[in-house]
Amino acid sequence: MPRTRLDLPYHVDYLSILGPDGTLDTDLEPKIDEADLGRLYRAMLLARRFDERMLNLQRQGRIGTFAPIKGQEAAQLGSVYAITPADWMVPSFRETASMLWRGWPMELILLFYAGYLEGMRVPDGVRDLPITIPVASQLPHAVGLAYAARYKGDDAVVLTYFGDGATSEGDFHEAMNFAGVLGAPVIFLCQNNQWAISVPRKKQTQSRTLAQKALAYGFPGTQVDGNDILAVYAASREAVERARDGGGPAMIECVTYRLGVHTTADDPRRYRSEEEVKEWERKDPLTRFRDYLQKKDLLDAEQERRLEEEIAQEIADAVARFEARQDPDPLVMFDHVYAERPPELEAERQELAERLRGTGASPAEGEAPAPTPMRGQRRTSRWPN
Amino acid sequence: MAREFKLPDLGEGLAEAEIVRVLVSEGDLVREDQIVLEVETDKAQVELPSPFAGRVGRVHVREGERVPVGAVLLSFDGGEGEAGARERAPARAEDREPPRPSPVPEPRAEPEAEPRRGRPVPAAPTTRRLARELGVDLRLVRGSGPGGRVLAEDVRAFAETPARREAAGAPVPERAEARPLAVVPRGLEIPPLPRFEQWGPVERQPLRSVRQRIAERMTLAWAVVPHVTHFDQADITDLELLRRQHQTQARETGGPEVTLTAFVVKAVVAALQAHPPFNASLDHEAGELVLKRYYHVGVAVDTGRGLIVPVIRDADKKGLVELAAELADLARRTREGKIELSELRGGTFTITNIGAIGGTGAMPLVNYPEAAILGLARAREMPVVRDGQVVVRRILPLSLSFDHRVADGADAARFVAHIVRSLEEPGRLLLAG
Repeated sequence: MPRTRLDLPYHVDYLSILGPDGTLDTDLEPKIDEADLGRLYRAMLLARRFDERMLNLQRQGRIGTFAPIKGQEAAQLGSVYAITPADWMVPSFRETASMLWRGWPMELILLFYAGYLEGMRVPDGVRDLPITIPVASQLPHAVGLAYAARYKGDDAVVLTYFGDGATSEGDFHEAMNFAGVLGAPVIFLCQNNQWAISVPRKKQTQSRTLAQKALAYGFPGTQVDGNDILAVYAASREAVERARDGGGPAMIECVTYRLGVHTTADDPRRYRSEEEVKEWERKDPLTRFRDYLQKKDLLDAEQERRLEEEIAQEIADAVARFEARQDPDPLVMFDHVYAERPPELEAERQELAERLRGTGASPAEGEAPAPTPMRGQRRTSRWPN
Repeated sequence: MAREFKLPDLGEGLAEAEIVRVLVSEGDLVREDQIVLEVETDKAQVELPSPFAGRVGRVHVREGERVPVGAVLLSFDGGEGEAGARERAPARAEDREPPRPSPVPEPRAEPEAEPRRGRPVPAAPTTRRLARELGVDLRLVRGSGPGGRVLAEDVRAFAETPARREAAGAPVPERAEARPLAVVPRGLEIPPLPRFEQWGPVERQPLRSVRQRIAERMTLAWAVVPHVTHFDQADITDLELLRRQHQTQARETGGPEVTLTAFVVKAVVAALQAHPPFNASLDHEAGELVLKRYYHVGVAVDTGRGLIVPVIRDADKKGLVELAAELADLARRTREGKIELSELRGGTFTITNIGAIGGTGAMPLVNYPEAAILGLARAREMPVVRDGQVVVRRILPLSLSFDHRVADGADAARFVAHIVRSLEEPGRLLLAG
């Protein structure tokens, strides 16, 4: 029998519409009305400034660890703009721009990163899942959500985010496989920002693109210039329409770059070069989009200045509201871990409660009580160890 | 009330940070979010923006100081119209308390160890078993694992050195990374250090891993090897001329430049082949001399973290240009911390070149279990008597330290003379391949 080449139903396209130097492919340019272009630019600027402010707040000890988005605004806004409020958005942990677009108040995001339970609560009317820290664990949820929506006859689609590092996780592959098999209306949006903490993209996979992974699961994968908001939107809109019409899932790989730290506990100077960062700064999605709007006469210096002022005020107000919060009762931390509190946790809760009342012995004096042994642990030992 | 900027936990669970730069002075007006300090933590070097706008009342830290999370870095004068001015008045440098009490433990009068109380010591079951077998009370052992977990090697190290059992009872300084050297000569009781604090302030720094390793290796070499050092010098005027010529060519063709060290490696290998005891190790248990039939030459590299010795494998099979290229690559990767552990092992002889910094000669310590080490000092143009005439020649001082158990002074003199001859008549080296 002959050896023949199999025809796969999909191949991987690369899409770029607005180049880093401002050149525009007018044939591919998506139609976005002027008001929306203005809203998108405002959202991008707000996301950038809010991100910068959060970094300062973290350095001042006012919020905890977070993952900055600087450089990835176009990948987030171009995609989130393609879905409607009736659709679902399932983030990982680096989607502040998308969250702001979806209607999360800034103070809620600040509360989350300051460790307040309230920050986890999705605002009313927003169809999003909360921030997910474990890499790729949100992807099976997104597929389940999409499958459920279709099962219920809802025509909602699900947009879910993840990074280049997530494509090496089992959850990613399981989610992709289920989505393909079930024909779930889910858009897998990969923000390939080149670095999974300190692991470079080239050590992540031998594949030439991440988008091609979709082909193995039987649906299309497209690679786009992730710093080109027009290309991200065009690819996302196509994928959303296809999913809504029953065409099943799609994957979009946004080739972008994390200009800042992985999280605030990271120092990228230890593993990547200044030159590399500089090179990507020249491809900044914000300046590229600004130039595009200026050429279209939709933005001038005066408008830009006013916008900056408004945004600065909005952020300042949000920080003030965030800092006016009430500190919660520390005992709340015991409340939502188990349905029925195990005895050792109850003992710890009692101990803390006593200490908070100032009646318990301070830990400095006297011997700490022996901890309650866990199930299966010997109560006594010949050795003190 | 004065507003205070305290050091936040900048990473996840960090305990302290080092102040790298202080960018404001007392009395400066700063904006909110203006960068006021640069600090370095175990994870990252970061800039700290001011959380307040206003006038800096006091700077509580100085550059180079390590401060714990929660320490006050800066205090600001009170807000508008508040009694800030009055509060700030006494805050003069003289009556400032020291920024941070130094975490120096009070040495104990008697070595009676006070075990840690309360919770069980974190350790794996195998470690507990080992502790039982060795009769070690785990509560006395300082854990070097994550979260202070006691590791098997901690228990073994503890069991081996009696001197340390006594020390372990002393309160543990905050920075728990410090641990005693793993090499202490057997039978040697090291008396406790005096209380230096009685003569002035001190700061205690845990040894970084490279430093710790060097300390252990050098203690071992010094304790085991009876050292003798032989001094000589080589006239490298002709060699230098040859090297310069080659350098010009190399720059034109873009090839590697052949350094003096590359020539010395070549000369050393030729001498080692003629004098096998210098490429040997003494097996003191077997009572045998282990002559190595391979020539892996270590070259000491000064890094910011300490001296590291990467090894050129099979230096006898490599040409000068190849040696030069490999030397450059090894040195670069060693400085960048990208060297593999395997590249630091298996050396049979070491060369250490301190000439770049200066000096007229030094007595290096053998890189145990090797038998000898060659030190190069700075080559200088010097007046030399040749055929009754004083002429200017370029002179390279050499010092060979060797294991006197393996060889004698006369052997060393012959060995070094072989190296000197090769360097003075570089044609020999080139013809040898």
